[in-house]
Amino acid sequence: MLEIQKISKSFYRKLALDDVSLTINQGEIFGLLGPNGAGKTTLIRIINKIVESDKGSIRFNGDLMTHKHLSEIGYLPEERGLYKSMTVENHALFLGQLRGLSKADVKLKLNYWLEKFNIQDWRNKRIEELSKGMAQKVQFICTVLHEPQLLILDEPFSGFDPINVELIKQELIEMKSKGKTIILSSHNMESVEAICDRVALIHESKKIIDGKISTLQEERKKGEYAIKFRGSMIAFVNALWTGFEIVDKEILGDDKFIVRVKMRGENRFDDLLKVLIGQIKMEAVWEVLPSMQEIFIDLVQPKVELKNEK
Amino acid sequence: MRNSWLIALREWKERISARSFLMLSILGPLSVIGLIYMLFALGGQTKQHWNVLIADPAGIMENKILSREDDAVSYSFADGYLEIEEFEKGKRFQEFDALLEINEKILSNKTAYVFFREKPSMRMQTRIQYQAERRLEEVLVKEFTKFSISEFRKIKQPLTLGFRNVYDPNDKSSDLRGWVGLFYGTVIFIFIFLFGMTILRSVSREKSNRIVEVLLGCVNPKQLMLGKIIGIGLAAFFQFIIWVIFIGLGLYLMRENLFPNLLDASNMNIPQLSNEVLAQTSQEQFFSAREYNEFVELVYERINFTFMTGYFILFFIVGYFFYGTLFASIGASSGSESDGQQFVLPLIFMLCFALYSGYFALQYPESSLSTLFHYLPFTSPVVVMVKLSQGYPIGHFYELFLSLLLLLLSSLAVLSIAGRIYANGILQFGHRVRLKHLFRWMRY
Repeated sequence: MLEIQKISKSFYRKLALDDVSLTINQGEIFGLLGPNGAGKTTLIRIINKIVESDKGSIRFNGDLMTHKHLSEIGYLPEERGLYKSMTVENHALFLGQLRGLSKADVKLKLNYWLEKFNIQDWRNKRIEELSKGMAQKVQFICTVLHEPQLLILDEPFSGFDPINVELIKQELIEMKSKGKTIILSSHNMESVEAICDRVALIHESKKIIDGKISTLQEERKKGEYAIKFRGSMIAFVNALWTGFEIVDKEILGDDKFIVRVKMRGENRFDDLLKVLIGQIKMEAVWEVLPSMQEIFIDLVQPKVELKNEK
Repeated sequence: MRNSWLIALREWKERISARSFLMLSILGPLSVIGLIYMLFALGGQTKQHWNVLIADPAGIMENKILSREDDAVSYSFADGYLEIEEFEKGKRFQEFDALLEINEKILSNKTAYVFFREKPSMRMQTRIQYQAERRLEEVLVKEFTKFSISEFRKIKQPLTLGFRNVYDPNDKSSDLRGWVGLFYGTVIFIFIFLFGMTILRSVSREKSNRIVEVLLGCVNPKQLMLGKIIGIGLAAFFQFIIWVIFIGLGLYLMRENLFPNLLDASNMNIPQLSNEVLAQTSQEQFFSAREYNEFVELVYERINFTFMTGYFILFFIVGYFFYGTLFASIGASSGSESDGQQFVLPLIFMLCFALYSGYFALQYPESSLSTLFHYLPFTSPVVVMVKLSQGYPIGHFYELFLSLLLLLLSSLAVLSIAGRIYANGILQFGHRVRLKHLFRWMRY
């Protein structure tokens, strides 16, 4: 769907993107993750032709990306706004027509979305009459009105209220099921990783890793397991021997805990379970996989430490 | 282009539905009409008897000018050639209020000059011009043609009578028509300033409410800037049309109700009227109608509004683009709505300077500075209007188009440079704009 090849961009003397390459497949939700100032927004602006790259190229469905492809893209920037004095319908008409729709098409599609969100009576309301949450819905509708093949949402959940976050997550999943491609960018990795199929981590203008979330987690897991149990903590500790260490514990009640343990050497988790059975009442057991946040910190930390040492 | 047009339409709708637009549409023409009415009602009502000396060394007029006595003007003929300085200082000439200089060139260039001590009213200027012209017609018909006077009037070239201050012959501000040009030029610049500031505010508001990046996802920065300038320009033009209609209607109503006799006077020039009637009845009607004042005469008789308005529109459009792009680029480069105001000051200074240059051109139309201002793109819209109302010398009308061409080329150059500032500045938020930013953005 989208091939980003060796993109570099500098703003005067400041490097914003350094040789970034990515491939985004049709029908997937792709997460562009990284801290603030990493270069995510610059990359998104380059895809949207708002900013020209210094080097590299982007291919859209195999063709070199040009302005004509913009009508296939829906873009909700991080810094988004609306004209306060315009009505919802006029807003949709204006932005829809800019994306190449006819007036009649805009009205038809606006009807669909207003009905879907059950907000038909907003049609003739001016934006300044709407609450922030209501305006956010209008922004989302205006972004997807022209049924784009590729939807790019920059920090989509920042500033959105929890109800809208959930609503939009559901919409994104539904759009994915219809074969649409979605790029989400966020510095708050936990907010998007749950719905992303694949992610790329960007740090200090470079892509440091990309791939399927499950693969990345599998590759970077540390042999940690979590055990939720009822019983005595002393009994639990006594049952362990040197082959395991407690990494973390969470006290849920007087006799209820979640404990994270880590394997040492060649020891296996089922050996531990055998020992624990009879000592405590286990309620749940699961393998602890690293979050994207942890993977990111793991990848970035050594560099930061190395820099500090120097 | 479709997208620029959509942006322009949105901008136009927003502007014309704003309350300020409605206010300006009503208050603007009302103030202009009020001002004209005040000039009509208060100006130039004093009557004066004028003693005019005619220097006609070639004896073209044969020492005759009036077929009958005129209470307001007495003419005397000087003997032979008379220097202006002599007229100015000579004791025996002090009793004369003005010197009408006629030389043999008048037969070919139809131009003569009146040197006055005290500025004559428009009514008096018209009277002298009328009487000199009638006499000249008689001479021309008698000497050079086989036509009758009424036939000759159909084909004749009108006499151009220049009025000059005898103490300062280079000062041509006494020509009221020039002031009309300055008025037109001032209107251009008031519109450019008002709507230029609207562009600036609109661009910085789009930045501060963050809609701009949504728009930039659909259109490129130059299309966005162009759409905005066109949209606001359309609103300005629409406003102007409303002004023209209201002012035109106001002038018509004033003519019908406040100065109705003027209609009779306008019949005066109908060529079918016989020579005798012209000489006896209509001439009196003509002058009685002129008893109002010089402004009535100026507004209803002298100015070719259609002609002036046509060129006004041309220079307004191109001048608006010239300044509009600059306002847009300043709006785009500002970090917040209040920031960047300091860069408006040079623009306001340029606009004020342009108005001053119009006044300067009115005072000293033939100075080389006036010529420079006539071609400088940021002053030319006013100066051209002044010059246009004063009248370009025959064969020099191309100067207007040359000035228009220069303004057009400069506008394109400014559009390109300001477009770069706009494109670079539009996505910069929360900074304090500095001059070095503008120069840096200009280069990329």
